[in-house]
Amino acid sequence: MTKILLQGNQAIARAAVKAGLGFYAGYPITPASEILHELVSEKSVKLMQMEDEIASINAIIGASLAGAKSMTATSGPGFSLMQESIGLAHMMEVPLVVVNVQRVGPSTGMPTLPAQGDVLQCKYGSHGDYFPIVFYPNSVDELYQYTFHAFNAAEESRSPVILLSDGYVGHLYETIQIQDYRISKRTLPPLGTSNRHFTGLTHEGSIPATSDPEVHKKFIKHLETKQKKVAKKYNGYEYRENASSDTLLIAYGALSRVSYHFKDDFAICRPIRIFPMIEDIKEIAGQYKRIIVMEMNAGQYVNEVERLLHRKVHLVSVLGGKIDLQEIWTKLKRSRRET
Amino acid sequence: MDKIETVQEGNVTKVLTHLNYLKQERLPTQWCPGCGNGIVLKLVCQAMEKLDFSQKNTVMVSGIGCSGRSAGYFDLDSIHSVHGRAIPVAEGIKNANPALNVIIISGDGDLLGIGGNHLLHASRRNTNISIVCIANSIYGMTGGQTSPTTEQGSKTLTTPQGNADTPIDVQAILKAHNSYYARTTVFHFNHAEKCITESLQHEGLSFVEIKTQCITNDGRRRGFKNAYEMMMSYKENYKINSKTDTLEHNEIGIIK
Ligand SMILES: Cc1ncc(C[n+]2csc(CCOP(=O)(O)OP(=O)(O)O)c2C)c(N)n1
Ligand SMILES: [Mg+2]
Repeated sequence: MTKILLQGNQAIARAAVKAGLGFYAGYPITPASEILHELVSEKSVKLMQMEDEIASINAIIGASLAGAKSMTATSGPGFSLMQESIGLAHMMEVPLVVVNVQRVGPSTGMPTLPAQGDVLQCKYGSHGDYFPIVFYPNSVDELYQYTFHAFNAAEESRSPVILLSDGYVGHLYETIQIQDYRISKRTLPPLGTSNRHFTGLTHEGSIPATSDPEVHKKFIKHLETKQKKVAKKYNGYEYRENASSDTLLIAYGALSRVSYHFKDDFAICRPIRIFPMIEDIKEIAGQYKRIIVMEMNAGQYVNEVERLLHRKVHLVSVLGGKIDLQEIWTKLKRSRRET
Repeated sequence: MDKIETVQEGNVTKVLTHLNYLKQERLPTQWCPGCGNGIVLKLVCQAMEKLDFSQKNTVMVSGIGCSGRSAGYFDLDSIHSVHGRAIPVAEGIKNANPALNVIIISGDGDLLGIGGNHLLHASRRNTNISIVCIANSIYGMTGGQTSPTTEQGSKTLTTPQGNADTPIDVQAILKAHNSYYARTTVFHFNHAEKCITESLQHEGLSFVEIKTQCITNDGRRRGFKNAYEMMMSYKENYKINSKTDTLEHNEIGIIK
């Protein structure tokens, strides 16, 4: 086993190559560009720097259908541009990996600072009903590992899997042990072998069906069942029990690294597969009187947790890209006192 | 008229011509009576037949619009992507598997309006794909709004007083990057077939702008009684230029 020092973004690129990445299309954006840079000199990867993120996502859809494992990476502004075709990839059932290294938004926001404001966009960003698998690791090592999982889950579900990161984890340098992870084979016969029709219209097999509600219901049910089934294989989360605390602190990504500082005062739960939500959180939460979600946005995942648990969940919101331990501790104490 | 040869496959009578390139069980198409899109399908099929293109080496891509439905009628692996994005999808395909012939058939609004930026860059990259643009000078599917190829002065749903703007100069864009450009019309059938056949053989990006009538959402607003009259106007208005390397407004021809 080799030990190497890697940056979070670099780890994604290196793992993607090992996982069999054949095609990458991207457009420069902070704090995600290092993924593009890292792939420039990879001989096994066909790389296109596109004119924008809309072109990038559509190019990887074409390449994936043509037979290459495909990926793109971006940050919030580019992720917004990609939304329409992320829906297309769900509808046409195209395996893809889409990386979003989050920065402070909305709009241009704070380009170099980390945030977690795109969490709900991952789930609801494109129009219509779809059921994305979203992973959000919190260390360089885990980014490396989950890049493999993302490619595998994409193949198994034939859908675009989102690998979420943030400006903090993406730019973090850590020493990691390079390990071999399972690599899924391609599941989709490449273009140029048949007479299939891939369409964003509701369809039954290769035939568009734009007026029969039954066909549409069946199709959406199929998407939901398929995504849940594949997601189950990647039930990634971390739980640090605390028998002396009555409060469960839920955090993910960059901010979950901070949560470890409070392990004596709180039980800690960190979902890595943030969507579909980890069902085990229900049972874990049942053991605590109070639940707090701590996140770098104005309150997003807190609503999803509340919906999962059917009970009041408290929010500790960290805005503006600054992670200040003292400030967070004060907020946590206040939240515990007031609830 | 040529004798049409047929072959019986179960309950289906298959026509043994260029139509073999189409999914015959999906015919007739959904397009309006008088629509020119069917002529474009036939032209592309004939060109493919000449060059011996097959399911094994050819992929069809479309965007969204009436013309966007084209890809789905071909008996090949085909993609009906989102509005304006056929070009980057095709570029991804071509890059991942350069052995494939990648053909785009899509509308003028799709390729030159919402997707116009991709055309600029694909021609700059000179990606080896063939684009057939069904230029009906209108947004057909959405009811007849002005499109990037609508003539100045033309009445459309969104320009009841006549279009104030000039149409996009596709020729100039393609020429700037030394890509293949051809302008033709569905009336000039043999010319159109030549344009498409050559474009499929061209190494690098090729773009065929084929003037096609939309009687339902364009012609009728401009005083045409039927599709026939519109086709006759192509006959009257466009002259073949095979000599110079610039096409005047009323000329059709090939520039490469
Ligand atoms: C992002 C987006 N915006 C708008 C539409 C609505 N829309 C569907 S087809 C179309 C125009 C198509 O025009 P054109 O490409 O010229 O094709 P035609 O119908 O004329 O063949 C529009 C605006 C859409 N589908 N997607
Ligand atoms: Mg049109």
